[in-house]
Amino acid sequence: MSDGWIKRNVRAIRGRAYPRVIGSTREPSWMFFDVALPLLTVAAYAYIYKFMNAQAQYIGYVVIGGAMTAFWLNVLWSMASQLYWEKEIGNLQLYLMAPISRMSILAGMAVGGLFETTLRAVSTLVIGVVLFSVALNLSHPLMLFGIFFLTMVALYGMGMMFASLYLLFGREAYHMSNLMTEPVYLASGFYFPVKQLGFWAATGASLIPITLGLDAIRQLFYPTKTQDAFLPIATEALILLALCVVFLILAKYSLDYMERLGKTSGRLTLRWQ
Amino acid sequence: MGDTPAVETKALTRVFQPKKKKEGKSVTALDRVDLRIEKGELFGLLGPNGAGKTTLLKILSTLLLPTSGKAYVAGFDLEKDFVEVRRRINMVSGGEISGYGLLTVRENLWMFSQFYGIKSKDAKERIDSLLDKFGLSDKRDEKVRTLSTGQRQKMNVVRGFVTDPDILFLDEPTLGLDVNASRVIRDHIVDWVDNGKDKTVLLTTHYMAEADQLCNRIAIIDEGKILACNTPENLKKMVRMNKTLTLDVTLLADKSVLGAVKGVDKFTYVDDAEKNLTHLKFVLTDESAVSDIVSDVLGNGSKIVSLQKTEPTLEDVFIKMVGKGFE
Amino acid sequence: MAVGGDIRTFKNAAWLGWQMEANWTDPFLFATYSIVKPISGTLILVFMFMVVTGGHTTGPYFSYMYLGNALYMYVAEVLFGVTWVIHDDREHYMTLKQVYIAPINFSTYILGRSAIKIAITSAGVLITLVFGVLVLGVDINLGSVDWPLLVAAMTFGLGCICVMGLALGGVTFLTAKHSMGINEGIAGVFYVLSGVIFPITALPGWAQSISKVLPITYWMEAVRRALAPGIMDQLGHSNGFDITGMVGFNDMFLMVDLIVSAAIAFGLSILIFRYADLIARRKGKIDWTSAY
Repeated sequence: MSDGWIKRNVRAIRGRAYPRVIGSTREPSWMFFDVALPLLTVAAYAYIYKFMNAQAQYIGYVVIGGAMTAFWLNVLWSMASQLYWEKEIGNLQLYLMAPISRMSILAGMAVGGLFETTLRAVSTLVIGVVLFSVALNLSHPLMLFGIFFLTMVALYGMGMMFASLYLLFGREAYHMSNLMTEPVYLASGFYFPVKQLGFWAATGASLIPITLGLDAIRQLFYPTKTQDAFLPIATEALILLALCVVFLILAKYSLDYMERLGKTSGRLTLRWQ
Repeated sequence: MGDTPAVETKALTRVFQPKKKKEGKSVTALDRVDLRIEKGELFGLLGPNGAGKTTLLKILSTLLLPTSGKAYVAGFDLEKDFVEVRRRINMVSGGEISGYGLLTVRENLWMFSQFYGIKSKDAKERIDSLLDKFGLSDKRDEKVRTLSTGQRQKMNVVRGFVTDPDILFLDEPTLGLDVNASRVIRDHIVDWVDNGKDKTVLLTTHYMAEADQLCNRIAIIDEGKILACNTPENLKKMVRMNKTLTLDVTLLADKSVLGAVKGVDKFTYVDDAEKNLTHLKFVLTDESAVSDIVSDVLGNGSKIVSLQKTEPTLEDVFIKMVGKGFE
Repeated sequence: MAVGGDIRTFKNAAWLGWQMEANWTDPFLFATYSIVKPISGTLILVFMFMVVTGGHTTGPYFSYMYLGNALYMYVAEVLFGVTWVIHDDREHYMTLKQVYIAPINFSTYILGRSAIKIAITSAGVLITLVFGVLVLGVDINLGSVDWPLLVAAMTFGLGCICVMGLALGGVTFLTAKHSMGINEGIAGVFYVLSGVIFPITALPGWAQSISKVLPITYWMEAVRRALAPGIMDQLGHSNGFDITGMVGFNDMFLMVDLIVSAAIAFGLSILIFRYADLIARRKGKIDWTSAY
């Protein structure tokens, strides 16, 4: 009756994605919040730049950065720390008992949340562009897609690595996720060019895939504003490719290692840590 | 029953260390447990709270590593070949709240079936059949959050069977269920083991009657140690308790002959003139004394109003072994 | 007797809140968390400012923005904290129904639970302000602080924020897992419309009208004036134009506006909470779960 390993894990991804997709359709209240909320932050930061009479592209950077926060938050809250909640309600042990890769469970969560996340990102971008009369100039759409794809794979790989912490820790890991929200906005230059942090800080921040992804995407939309770019697009694409490989491998090892640690210490399914 | 047991443990030990010293001492949840469960057995594990039952189940279901010792499920080493183990097992715990409130019963069950690589069409057929057997067909398309506690537990039990595992771990599966629901589940467990090929169940329970009724063999565990492991009948024989016979008869004038019946160790009586009854109690060394007692009572012109024979129960076994009842 | 019971409920709830908020890690990590989180949020604005000014953090607007962002932590954390109590207890620990049916004032319990949030947030605000003064040159002079105005503004402002959180908590009873979205939304509205990081005069006219009925707007202005009266004078009178939108409000008038708007918000919040509570009981939503 059971299929090979690949089919089993593909089914697992589909199975885990299902509650996310169905949940989106059965409780549509999220649509309003996922459209309105990011716009508030974008609006606040856009008005700061406006008040300070900043150059027009900075408002564009804010809109693009605001759109990309959707993916960072999805990785952090709907994938990584989701394992914490799964542990609390007793689903985690059922997942861990199943003969599938842990990455399939996480991939399922990511895929299932993609619809909501993409809607949030696109709506932020579109409404932000309209509200603040942002002029975006995209001449290489395929390159944009490629950069975006690499960024997402690397980012979700990193997210899987973080998720492994939840196999061992409870509230500590949850608070770590909380802690990482704003520092990553800062370090990755969500609302200003990351170059502003200085070369070495920006280099360190480049370990977070969304840093270089965002920088490259901004360059694609503002090809003449090279003074705000950190590295050339081609360089950033290569680094992102390397990060894809590194994070996916690290995720696999980290999940296996943390699971083993959790099983040894008895904390794998321990609730209310 | 094949040569490879379904479950085998050798000196299995699990010690829990606190994170910090101030959180208390270490706890030995399992202490050199040796167990062998053959394929096709319905095996019971009885023990008070904190005895180590759930710890053992967690190890066998690959959620926990032992501190020392070895464990094998379906012939596979739990530490090295856990993926192979997972393909062959499933577990259901009593009082589970797993699942997603927003999904329907069917959807929840389907989702979990996908983690075991079961084709959707097959999964849905199995789910519908099991829901029907467990009396949940009308709840199939209801959201999980609308289910009562008992219905939810039934759904959890269905989840355990949907994957058709070789070995099923049931940790107090009838907890919180009413009499009828419990009976349906027990009947299904027995059917599944009896009619399946080498299907094995390891069942933990607090309900002595359940263990007595269902299990081929029972292990009694306390403070991490297996105190006894045998068939229910043999376990009861270990408790050298005599059987008792209690009779309520119409007022019996002459009771002298009853004390002299062969096979009666002790005999007491109480006359209740108001109700015109005599309450007789016999401690028997030989069950064949029952017929003699009945003949003597009837021969003396008395009528039997009620008759009850009691034998050592599993509870007696448990109390003798563990030294206490269930807390 | 009722007051005594409420005090006891508040104390017990506050103790529980502390256990939930603070005992998840060792003190060092907790301290790191409590420092890094607020400062990194503030640094985003600092770098945005520096991008435009070419690296400088001088000028009254920088201090205006910095102070506002620091104070806003109360709005975000306390609103979130109050709502989170209901969400957490209901969805994760499933203890809400046991607390709800206990013979205590449920509102007092929620406020007690979130009291620790105020304490932790106060530490975060203080750390941020000290960092701003020592490292970034934010213009706060302890000798110039208007303490009576500060105490009055903080009392009314924080009280108002807590009760608004209670209203949002009530709404949480009725919504699915996106109740946090409502919370963030309301906090976000305050962020944009209450002169937190830019004066309300930067907004379109219709938005400024909304700003002027929000208690947070007056609270922000009052606390800024109390902490850094010099900055507000400078900013308020730049080039003869009322940049903050509140130059014409003297301190007394400002406090009256704060108290009146806070009182209205207070009344509305209590009504919303009670209504939401009633509907939740009718629909059986006190103890439902909705995670997916």
